[in-house]
Amino acid sequence: MNITLYAKMLKVHAKSISSYAIGSALYLLLIIGIYPSIADAPGLNELMESMPESFLAAFGMEGGFQHVSDFIAGEYYGLLYVVILSIFCLMTASQLMARHIDRGSMAYILATPNSRKKIAFTQALVLITGLLIIGLTTALAGVIGTEILIEDKPFEAMTFMNVNLVGILLFFVISGYSFLFSCLLNDERQALGLSGLLTIVFYGMDLVGKMSDQLDWMVHLSLFSTFRPVEIARGSVDVWPTATFLFLLGTVLYAVAILIFSKRDLPL
Amino acid sequence: MIELNGLTKKFSNGKGIFDVTFSIPKGEVFGFLGPNGAGKSTTIRHLMGFMKPSKGSALINGMDTWKDAAKIQEKIGYLPGEISFLDGMDGMAFLKLVGGMRGMKHTNYRDELIHRLQFDVKTPIRKMSKGMKQKVGIVAAFMHEPEVIILDEPTSGLDPLMQRIFIEIVMEQKEKGTTFLMSSHSFSEIERTCDRAAIIKDGKIVVVENIHDLQQKQRRLFDVTFASAEEAKLIKQSKLDVISVTENRAEIAVQGDYNQFIQALGDYQIRTIDIHEQNLEEVFLNYYDREANRS
Repeated sequence: MNITLYAKMLKVHAKSISSYAIGSALYLLLIIGIYPSIADAPGLNELMESMPESFLAAFGMEGGFQHVSDFIAGEYYGLLYVVILSIFCLMTASQLMARHIDRGSMAYILATPNSRKKIAFTQALVLITGLLIIGLTTALAGVIGTEILIEDKPFEAMTFMNVNLVGILLFFVISGYSFLFSCLLNDERQALGLSGLLTIVFYGMDLVGKMSDQLDWMVHLSLFSTFRPVEIARGSVDVWPTATFLFLLGTVLYAVAILIFSKRDLPL
Repeated sequence: MIELNGLTKKFSNGKGIFDVTFSIPKGEVFGFLGPNGAGKSTTIRHLMGFMKPSKGSALINGMDTWKDAAKIQEKIGYLPGEISFLDGMDGMAFLKLVGGMRGMKHTNYRDELIHRLQFDVKTPIRKMSKGMKQKVGIVAAFMHEPEVIILDEPTSGLDPLMQRIFIEIVMEQKEKGTTFLMSSHSFSEIERTCDRAAIIKDGKIVVVENIHDLQQKQRRLFDVTFASAEEAKLIKQSKLDVISVTENRAEIAVQGDYNQFIQALGDYQIRTIDIHEQNLEEVFLNYYDREANRS
């Protein structure tokens, strides 16, 4: 790793990292804040029952909510969290490599006595650091938020942390393939487009597969099948096999990306 | 110091560079001339280790530019042809970033260069004009006083005063034994600084020669305006290479022998003489095409 490059890149991306982190934390606090009024609302469970089962299943809301952690997991980690982190990973990954290759500024970075592997590794670390900052800020906001805003409601801190762990690791993989495209392509928009498309296809397959009985095989092909926030929050799944799988897959993706970048022709 | 042995890179569209061979000894300023798209930048990309040759090799200080790319960069300063910096910082932050990535300790020479090129380092990069960016790029290439400096179209965007300062800086570094490779599409840009030059066309080296020989071979066109149309007609009978005559103006080509040109014109009443601006193909490549046809 090159410390100077790492520090500078982190500074350049600090604004976007902190706004995603703050945005994510505030959304989560908002969701926690409305929990008491929803939990006490008598009509909620009837409303849930009136909805089609497949619809509830698609968003992981079947069976209603017993705990704050379930509620947060379903309401926030099921959709908004995924959207916020996806956007961050896709945008930042394409900016860290493909943009510099596309615009030619990579020439200045490579015209220093640092190997391409070192440069790509440093840029990957910037992306992972950003992801960790956003993920951990969100987790922390969840823990502190429930402590302050919710009284006398059961909150499973342990399972809540598991939701965050698997969530961060899922985005370690998503940022991994985004970074791979970013290293592989000469065009920033192409890199962003391809990684975006792949993410949407994965998400769509997961959603369609959960809603339809005939298409449920699709779920297994989707990366998002590894992240079931409500189930994890209820403690009904063992997260370690999934976590290990995601960690290994992400590591491989980053390693392949760095290797490809070190070997290819660059149009600088 | 720099050695290219049969360097070949074929792109999928059939273009590329083919069997590029030349070598530059230590302390020489070498010009690399060619029209746009001839393969100058592609050759330089190989020297910088950005591309892997299909065949042949490029060596700097005995090291392979593809395999030892990172190590070689310790000795190189590079100014890319297309200036594009990292955004979100000002000129000084950029120079500090590059300096830091080099592990550069001394900043005296950097500050001296900034002072001589006269630009405001606090300007954000996205607000810089082309000339200003070029200055920042020149400082980035020279500030660590490398042994080899590779410059891709260095004076584009610089005003005449700054071009002169740039040439001064190049000459000072040359005195210290720095080796230069400088690409350009115009002969006048490099004839003041370079010792030797190579001309590249369609990916192939046409010739490698010293600058004085090239100046001899350079064919210049002069627009001479005479006092009367009769005189313009008379000049056709002289030994000069008269290309065309329209009323009292004649277009005369001169190659090498300027004395003959001046003596011949001495007998006439001349109103003005203008040099006809020509591109590189007109200056040289016609000449080499003719040579090729003759042999």
